[in-house]
Amino acid sequence: MVLAAASTAQALDAAIAAFDAGPEGRVAASYAGTSALARQIESGAPAHIFLAANAAWMDHVEAQGLTRPGSRRVVARNRLVFVSESPGIAPFEPSVSLDLAALLGRGRLALGDPDHVPAGIYARQALEALGLWQGVRDRLAPAADVRAALSLVARGEAPLGIVYATDVPLAEGVRAVAAIPAALHEPIVYPAALIAGRGSPLAARFFAFLTGTEGRAAFARAGFIVD
Amino acid sequence: MALTPLEVEAIMLSLRVAGWAVLVSLPLGIAVAWLLARYRFPGHSIVNGLVHLPLVLPPVVVGFVLLLLLGRQGPLGAWLDDWFGITLAFTWQGAAVASAVVSFPLMVRAIRLSIEGMDQRLETAARTLGAPPVWVFLSISLPLMAPGVLTGTILAFARCLGEFGATITFVSNIPGETRTLPLALYTYTQVPGGLDGAFRLMVIAIVIAFAALVASELLARALRRRLEG
Repeated sequence: MVLAAASTAQALDAAIAAFDAGPEGRVAASYAGTSALARQIESGAPAHIFLAANAAWMDHVEAQGLTRPGSRRVVARNRLVFVSESPGIAPFEPSVSLDLAALLGRGRLALGDPDHVPAGIYARQALEALGLWQGVRDRLAPAADVRAALSLVARGEAPLGIVYATDVPLAEGVRAVAAIPAALHEPIVYPAALIAGRGSPLAARFFAFLTGTEGRAAFARAGFIVD
Repeated sequence: MALTPLEVEAIMLSLRVAGWAVLVSLPLGIAVAWLLARYRFPGHSIVNGLVHLPLVLPPVVVGFVLLLLLGRQGPLGAWLDDWFGITLAFTWQGAAVASAVVSFPLMVRAIRLSIEGMDQRLETAARTLGAPPVWVFLSISLPLMAPGVLTGTILAFARCLGEFGATITFVSNIPGETRTLPLALYTYTQVPGGLDGAFRLMVIAIVIAFAALVASELLARALRRRLEG
């Protein structure tokens, strides 16, 4: 059983489909926000593998000795993009001179809640690096997760949003209008680790598959960056 | 137990949202309860069903329906914006609307019960003595249903304070604007090491809810004494 961040669903499903579980059973995945999953692991959820959408929560789980020491691996990386469904917003370069207020008009900027959603935290770091954060912090529509931010943009409730590059194909009519340079925020990594105290040959085999060439290929096909 | 300014803000916002939600929906709640209790008309059960729908639907669904209807691009939302310059999406007023919709069935049920339990001969007597219908309603019916109105109001207020799903879906989680107590608590549970703050807010939520229930119990008792005495 894999507890995995919601944003990895497409890629992980593809990896599971490509994996030959053999007669030992099957690999199941449960998707939710990374924070909810970390709390489940703290409470002793019967999982074997944790695939997180950011390093902080993996650090948190690791610090409590809940992961098998030395098993942590980065599976994939991601990028942030500005997205819009409004034909009025032309592709632009994010820079210090970007007039976000003018782009937003009377609308708000949809993003994962910068207080707790990883995608929103990275977005805040990038906007701060550009010096745009103070001007836009009262104009945000913070969503409970990055997919909710995407759907606000898809329905036109927010003229502009910041989501992962891998989210863009999931919403019809939404397109990326600007790529956010990776240097502006902490690296967006998806670390995986084996949960301590649950030795299962199948889980170990799938973990090797996931962090190996074939697992990474599944993530690359879904638009993630793999090393 | 010291609260941070953000926590105080969330609590005050919760009280404001719940207060306005109840205040605005109360006249409508009384009217709908009256209609359902006193009149039989075609479509009675449909109206009854519609009123109770938010009670059985997941609050997230209610929030999503509100967003589709009242969002900036929604038919009602666009109309409100064009004609009155009212924006509900992403504002505390929108949070009040979400709370009002979700708590409406509780209010209507309690008021309707008290209307149905009322001795209608008192109203008949007042009418035969020549009192105009509005005066009968204000001087006889309303005081008789006051315990139900009070219970309904307190129940709805408590439900508003706890509203989460419809709120976060419709008006999202904006600090100082729509981050009410439950949303602030949720936000705390979403960050590593946020459990202390979540615990403080949990205690506050219990205290407020308990105070509301005790207050309603005491008020109801006082009202009953007046009605009987």
